[in-house]
Amino acid sequence: MDFTMILPEECQSLIMSFTSPADAFRSAMVCQALRSAVDFDAVWEKFLPSDYKSIILGSSSPSSLLSLGMKELYLQLCFHPILLQNGTMSFQLEKGSGKKCYMLGARALSISWGDIPHHWTWTPQPDSRFPEVAELELVWWLEVKGRIETRILSPNTKYAAYLVFKLKIRFTAWFRERPVTLNVNVDGVVSGEGRRVSLDPRDEPRHVRERGDGWMEVEMGEFLNEFGDDGTVEFSLKEIDTRYIKRGLIIEGIEIRRNA
Amino acid sequence: MSEVDMAVTKPEMMKSYIWLQTADGSIQQVEQEVAMFCPMICHEVIQKGLGSSKNYAISLPQRVNPAMLSLILDYCRFHQVPGRSNKERKSFDEKFIRMDTKRLCELTSAADSLQLKPLVDLTSRALARIIEGKSPEEIREIFHLPDDLTEEEKLEPLKNTTDDPRIRLLNRLYAKKRKELKERQKLKNVEVEEERVDDRSVDDLLSFINGDGGDSKGIKTSKSKKKNRRRKDQQKSTSTNEAIKNHNKELNGLNSVCCSVEIGQKSWSGVGASSNLHDVEDDIFASKNELDDGEIDDEIDPALKEKIDREVEDFARRLNSDWPERMQEILSFGHERKPVHFSLNGNGSLRRYANSEQR
Repeated sequence: MDFTMILPEECQSLIMSFTSPADAFRSAMVCQALRSAVDFDAVWEKFLPSDYKSIILGSSSPSSLLSLGMKELYLQLCFHPILLQNGTMSFQLEKGSGKKCYMLGARALSISWGDIPHHWTWTPQPDSRFPEVAELELVWWLEVKGRIETRILSPNTKYAAYLVFKLKIRFTAWFRERPVTLNVNVDGVVSGEGRRVSLDPRDEPRHVRERGDGWMEVEMGEFLNEFGDDGTVEFSLKEIDTRYIKRGLIIEGIEIRRNA
Repeated sequence: MSEVDMAVTKPEMMKSYIWLQTADGSIQQVEQEVAMFCPMICHEVIQKGLGSSKNYAISLPQRVNPAMLSLILDYCRFHQVPGRSNKERKSFDEKFIRMDTKRLCELTSAADSLQLKPLVDLTSRALARIIEGKSPEEIREIFHLPDDLTEEEKLEPLKNTTDDPRIRLLNRLYAKKRKELKERQKLKNVEVEEERVDDRSVDDLLSFINGDGGDSKGIKTSKSKKKNRRRKDQQKSTSTNEAIKNHNKELNGLNSVCCSVEIGQKSWSGVGASSNLHDVEDDIFASKNELDDGEIDDEIDPALKEKIDREVEDFARRLNSDWPERMQEILSFGHERKPVHFSLNGNGSLRRYANSEQR
């Protein structure tokens, strides 16, 4: 018995739509019949987030995206993040699960002294997805905050926030053995002291990692999003011991993505 | 209407049955309310008037064999009773689908041909749970599927999406945007390098703009290379602007500084008309240069530091009140592209917007 002989293709694709994107990719490797059943628009439309159309309409090139087939659109959103909110935030999908993943650009964050050019400058970087990144010139008070509303995240998902950054080569000494405090708070509930982590990869080879796109990342914390009705989640980076100055940090943004 | 017909249309008079015939030829009677739960059967009865007698039995699709029909009728018999709770129905369903994979597939197919969507969903979800998490090899085994993909296809997770012309267009657009950003970055790098050297007060520059031509030569010679490039670009993009034409020569010399003013705002050191601030700024730059040599000694006198912080705040406040309009003027003449806009932040400090954000 070959079930693809028993079942019409529509049934096969209905079954596939009840699985997950990762399962669909695997099923496409099984046989010709399943490969073409997986191709149906109905399958991938099910994997896209339910509000995908309104998200795309907020981007810079909605018409070209909406003209794609569902599978192409899914893949496009996985591998090419789209910019939202006037280029201050990016959106993409996690390939295996279809869960939403956002990155708050540096411009979407609240950076203390960020408007004072002696302290922070804003420059375009070729390997950044945003028009500008924040470059730390010199501060004593380092405080960077971001926030996101849980209602725009995928429900029933465990998320983690990552600070996406670089250290300027000449200034790496400033963060060596000088940990900063990273914190994630759900809806104003302060969940403890936060974690003390050094941003220098030499100090923390396990926690500070290369992302593969030219930037490094360090986990700030995690949270569970159930139904998206938990209000806002806040992320913070803080080092306000004013006895010593901080220099040479370049911030791309804060990424919020599914934590396995 | 014959009596037999009337019997079918008045169920409360006596229990009515519908006659069904499966592909193998066998015919059976089924209680009307049970059979009518299937949309396909319902349609045949109402639209075509079939099923009322043995001779007019409804022919079921080929995919519905007697065994499957029996299962489907069990499902219908349970669910067509209106009074059942959701919990009861769910419990029934969970027990109902406990069967081997082959039967599940046949049942899905049969239910699909009878358009019985709730049962199709139930069995499809059960099959999906079987597929979840399994490797391609395992899936092949469970469902007896042939291994008929080419080696090439096995390497590619899905149909090659880059063949789609729409995807190619999108990717080309992204590449173009990245290129633009790179070029902007290069230009700004060049300007940033310049501005580090140039820390004249803006007061000086302003008096220069306003017609004091004495300094122009001095300024021009100190930066001849970079300026030549600027002059070309400047002439290209501002040739249509009447007012600017008049100031072209002076502005060429100014341009480098104006652009740097726009970017780094570092040469505004003297703006507050506070020589104190200027000195303090120099101190910072001086200490910065020392520190640039990689020394870790970062202890700045706290009193000095506080002074700097206060001066910076003062300076920012002054900027807000005096400068936004003035800067607009300067920049719209001196900048080869569109003017840069400022707006005030909640805490009273200036915030510069790059043009890409104004959409």
